[in-house]
Amino acid sequence: MADIKKTFGQIYDRYVEKIYRFIFFKVNSQEIAEDLASETFLKTWEVFKNGKEIENMQAFLYKTARNLVIDYYREKGKVQIVSAENPLITDPGQNLEEKAMLNSDLNTVRQALANLKEDYQNVIIWHYLDDLPIQEISYMLGRTEEATRVLLSRALKSLREKIENSQSNIS
Amino acid sequence: MMNEKELIGKIRELRQIKPRKDWVVLTKSQILGEEKKYTSLFFFRPVYASLIVVFILFGLFGISQNSLPGDLLYSIKKISEKSQAVFVSEKELPKYNLEIANKRLEELNEIAQTNQVKKLAPAISEFQANVSEAAKNLANVKGQDVEKIVAQTKKLEETKKKVEEVLATKIETEEYDNALAQLVEREIQDLEERTLTEEQTATLREAKADFEAGNYSDALIKILSLSQNNQ
Repeated sequence: MADIKKTFGQIYDRYVEKIYRFIFFKVNSQEIAEDLASETFLKTWEVFKNGKEIENMQAFLYKTARNLVIDYYREKGKVQIVSAENPLITDPGQNLEEKAMLNSDLNTVRQALANLKEDYQNVIIWHYLDDLPIQEISYMLGRTEEATRVLLSRALKSLREKIENSQSNIS
Repeated sequence: MMNEKELIGKIRELRQIKPRKDWVVLTKSQILGEEKKYTSLFFFRPVYASLIVVFILFGLFGISQNSLPGDLLYSIKKISEKSQAVFVSEKELPKYNLEIANKRLEELNEIAQTNQVKKLAPAISEFQANVSEAAKNLANVKGQDVEKIVAQTKKLEETKKKVEEVLATKIETEEYDNALAQLVEREIQDLEERTLTEEQTATLREAKADFEAGNYSDALIKILSLSQNNQ
């Protein structure tokens, strides 16, 4: 058991930052990203400690995180009733980290990335932020390497358009 | 206008977004249970160091139990609940989920009563997420298991009313209401097929009136008294 824990501890250290960030871009809130990232590792640990074979740990973690984000939005879609006009409710996502980001032009890139369609967003995060090679990404997406390259190029184009649109809206 | 290299440079800068260090350490300890972190002071005395880590962990577990949505230790509280849920049998799950939903509602009540405005939104969504979870297996509760959940549904109804009065707004729990309505309706139909005494028929009529008025827990309590007498 001690060995398994040690191995999983190393897996955790290696991926925690990436998984947290991957979720954060999708939910836009530190608190929710922390919750879902904890759950991602907890679920993976449950599978791992029971000796089930995980062929590709990285792909498994991202997949678990994606599913949890989908579940979160599905749940939220169903139960979201709090009116935006209700003066009692403040935006829970407005934490210090986000406020600081709001003032930088990086925020424009982040917002544009958050607004991309899921496939585009994932491929950009994986390749440019997490440094995953095209081969690994194509495995996770179940596409050919060529198709993944095309997807990445379209994703970049779409991101650039979104950034330019938001800049022209400001000026 | 940015060229591709600049754009990619900007994307890479988003690596600045990182999780909080204390969250990273705490979550790891939580998941792996006995992860040990030695400070330099205790480096040569690992026995003491591990003891202290255990005390700190127990302390955090304890303190986190009083935390509210929006607090630093709140995610620890949730992880400890999720770990406990693993040991709950399928049969006990509806009751357990209701207990957790009631816990969330108590937190929301505390936040509403003490007017902690910033924590309201996360507390409401926490409650709604948990009450939807409870709704999932509520409609399938049958027979004697109804007895186990009725105290929880009653409590939930009463606390919700209190919170709604303080917030002067209605908290929607449609999925839960529907699941509970289905359960009550099925139990009423079941009783209608049985032979009842005059007194019991009157109680059933009252239960039906409660059901129609949306007072599902009251209806359930009456149904329960009838099913128990009928066994």
